[in-house]
Amino acid sequence: MKNFITLNPEVRDAIIESGGDDVIKCYQCGRCMAACPWNLLDGLDYTTYRFCQRIKLGAIIDSEEKEEIAADTIDVFRCVGCDSCKAECPRGVSLSDVLRAVRRILVDFDSYPSELKSVVARLYNSGNPLGEPAEKRADWAAGLDTPQYTEKLDYLYFPCCLPAYDARARKVAQATAKILKRGGISFGIHGKDEFCCGEAVRRVGAEKVFQTAVKQNTELFKASNVKKVIVTSPHCLVTFTKEYPAYYDKFETQHAVQLFDQMITEKKISPKRPFEKTVVYHDPCTLGRQMGIYEEPRRILNSIPGLKLIEIPVFNRDFSVCCGGGAMGLWRDWPQDERLANLRADQILATNADVLCVACPYCLQMFEETLKSMNASIEVMDISEILESALE
Amino acid sequence: MDIIVCIKRVAQTAEADVKVDPSGKNIVKDRLTFDMNESDTYALEEAILLKEKFSGTLTAVSLGTAEAEDTLRIALAKGADNAIRIKAEDFDELDGFKTAQLIKAAIKDLKFDVIFTGCIATDDYFSQVGVALAEMLGIPHATLVTKVDIQENKAQVYRELEGGLLEHLEMTLPSLFTIQTGINEPRYASLIAIRRAAKKEIKVIGASDIDQTGIQAGTVLEELFPPPVGKHAEILSGSTDEIAVKLTGIIKDKGLI
Amino acid sequence: MSEIFALVEHRQGTIRDITYELMSCGRKLAENASAKLTAVILGHNTDSIVQAVKSQAHRLLVVDSEMFKDFNSELYQITLSEIIKQQNPRLTLIGHSAFGMDLCPALAVQVGLPFATDCLGVEIVEQKIKVTRQMYDGKLNARVLLRENPGHMITLRSGCFPAGESSLEGVVENLDITVSSQPDYRKFIEYIEAAIGDVDITKSDILVSIGRGVKEQANISVIEDFAAAIGGVVSCSRPVVDAGWLTKDRQVGSSGKTVKPKLYIALGISGAFQHIVGMKSADTIIAVNKDPNAPIFNEADYGIVDDLFKVVPVLKNKILEMKQAKG
Repeated sequence: MKNFITLNPEVRDAIIESGGDDVIKCYQCGRCMAACPWNLLDGLDYTTYRFCQRIKLGAIIDSEEKEEIAADTIDVFRCVGCDSCKAECPRGVSLSDVLRAVRRILVDFDSYPSELKSVVARLYNSGNPLGEPAEKRADWAAGLDTPQYTEKLDYLYFPCCLPAYDARARKVAQATAKILKRGGISFGIHGKDEFCCGEAVRRVGAEKVFQTAVKQNTELFKASNVKKVIVTSPHCLVTFTKEYPAYYDKFETQHAVQLFDQMITEKKISPKRPFEKTVVYHDPCTLGRQMGIYEEPRRILNSIPGLKLIEIPVFNRDFSVCCGGGAMGLWRDWPQDERLANLRADQILATNADVLCVACPYCLQMFEETLKSMNASIEVMDISEILESALE
Repeated sequence: MDIIVCIKRVAQTAEADVKVDPSGKNIVKDRLTFDMNESDTYALEEAILLKEKFSGTLTAVSLGTAEAEDTLRIALAKGADNAIRIKAEDFDELDGFKTAQLIKAAIKDLKFDVIFTGCIATDDYFSQVGVALAEMLGIPHATLVTKVDIQENKAQVYRELEGGLLEHLEMTLPSLFTIQTGINEPRYASLIAIRRAAKKEIKVIGASDIDQTGIQAGTVLEELFPPPVGKHAEILSGSTDEIAVKLTGIIKDKGLI
Repeated sequence: MSEIFALVEHRQGTIRDITYELMSCGRKLAENASAKLTAVILGHNTDSIVQAVKSQAHRLLVVDSEMFKDFNSELYQITLSEIIKQQNPRLTLIGHSAFGMDLCPALAVQVGLPFATDCLGVEIVEQKIKVTRQMYDGKLNARVLLRENPGHMITLRSGCFPAGESSLEGVVENLDITVSSQPDYRKFIEYIEAAIGDVDITKSDILVSIGRGVKEQANISVIEDFAAAIGGVVSCSRPVVDAGWLTKDRQVGSSGKTVKPKLYIALGISGAFQHIVGMKSADTIIAVNKDPNAPIFNEADYGIVDDLFKVVPVLKNKILEMKQAKG
């Protein structure tokens, strides 16, 4: 182990060129370290601001020792993109964007964790991270009478790969479609011609695959004249809203909770069936902190008779703690004592609620798995499932 | 200690939908990612570990089209000193036998004490190149090597046989080893090594550099086709006993016991 | 009359199953090509091997030498190249096993025979030899023609040629060949039995895989008994590893291993997608789960909706009964 840092301006320049220019703004105040959820875990020291410092010196993943290179590489891929750091940063540095710049170089060189390599390969090949055939992308809607999208319809409902294919998450897409239908919303679905939105794969540094996603989806939207999109995943929301416009900006996107909230206000749907349970709401990082959508889901839950909504003390809204599902976190295999989902699950269970309400397919999967492994009896439901059960 | 490692860039098809292209002899490469063949990554790591132990020169060799240079650069970034690409585009009818002959020609001016290769390529499943190459070079070989310990000029070699049994051999150098996965933990590359490797020169050898007298393939691929099909869950009914009988019958019919 | 050679593979006094598969394939080829099948045995104190294989071939060529007490591919290569050069078989069949992989390409190159490895099928069509092989992680098959030559060599994948009944009366011929001693450059030292815990689930043809449904560590012994009865290896989904009941090397799934066994029995596994991606390419999948809606049933070929602890003991007994009956 060396006891001084070697300066590699070339490495620094390569990272900045790859999209890491935020690094220049950082002055190592360390606020991000207090914000980062990884540092809530005992025994883990995720020195967030040091990334910026080391990148400016070009001294990142610079060891000649095999174990140190591995530890550094794994740390670069640890960030889940929750943006807690950015929210606290006095200069608005997006550390996840900075790390993404490093990731791009490593992904280009095939030097990154193999669990991620497999997901990226699967996604590139089949258009979804599960490796399921594109032809089956609309199978979730069987028997629901959802029309194929045409430009005569107002909205395209874009369910996200997990609700499209996964047996548990499908119920979210089905509940959402039922609510839209009940509310008389004019919408349709596409299915097999869709590609994953690409948000997670871009976060992980596989830019070429992201560009494939953008190309396929924007061509589809263009060809079928899509004007308004409803999404179930906040990750689809954030990429469609903030990243896709650089390539194609002729469509608007809303998250399902925004539309549901509107539908309730406009009395298109009226939740009348009581839901006599205590419900704790977990703010998804991407829906809340990144897109500022906090009150809509709460209004929806409060409009349901019998439902008692409770908050996780302190760690709610913009202080919500990440489930760990972002940046392909669903596919990572951290040691038991290094799991964000377990940490958050403890906070959730401490509220003694009957039901955990989520509004993101990643949170849904992470918590279903984690709470089951903890043998907890709390039920995990997506907000669409709760709302749908309250409609007569 | 001078070392040569043979590596190959292969399509990652384990979890992909693989289609035959219009020629009937190749696959559609769109939407496939490529990476170093899995057992080659272990062979490379073993080669680097050996180089670290004794110091010396490590040369990575790959037969492939231009993209194979990306894979050679990974080898350089991880610890290879030199890289050679044999231009696959210059030769046709490439099978394991011909590949071995071409590699032999490409390395004719290199000194070596050990050659490492992977034990099997996931795209062609041949498991031929390493052994054929060793025979052509007149050096001993061992396949499916799961541990190799080199002291002075002797190698204690452990081969992985079926059922977890190991075969312990003692060999001398120079020798060729085809490496089994799991023998070590392949390393990541450091960023500075990646930058250096990106600029390093790779020696390219083509048809004009090789005397092709006597070099020929032993086999010709006639046709690629999807394997015969069949699927979806048949739920077995009846009493537990009846179900067990049905299941046993199914397992037996498939020749599984 | 042309001959097809099949190399008998044996280890520590036992003939390996693949040998009978080779013989079966060889007999069929011989029949179709009006040729004879010759078994080639290199070993020490070969009587029992000769007796076991006598009915499988028309002729047996035997070299009995102390040098062949343990397999050394160098010695095999030296001796077999001599035999092949003398006898000129039309085709030599070897099993695609650790033994065959080490031997075939070197032997074929030395003798100058075009060769093909890991074949699922072989046919001799008008003097031409064509084989079927797998490629691309088993996603596609390939038909391959071997270059014309008076002789060829092929290794066959195990489990592709069912061993058949045979009642030939093999004529035994002991070859008088001087076998050199083990060369310095490659000496067999010993066999080492696998230590417990050194299991590679990707190499097993049969996997008995457990999930959360197994409920607790104490129940794993029931599963291990069943796996032993069926000749399989125990693997699992991630929750079992997380709980510390099995080691990580047993884990099937996206962050564990991808497996492609001939038979995958999923017990108490719900079928979370991270698990499915690791095993969906198995040839035959049988799933047992109490929940009729478990996603695993979407991947399985056969499903049983029941308590795995009810099904497993009964299934184990039926399998043991069947194995007894087979003899």
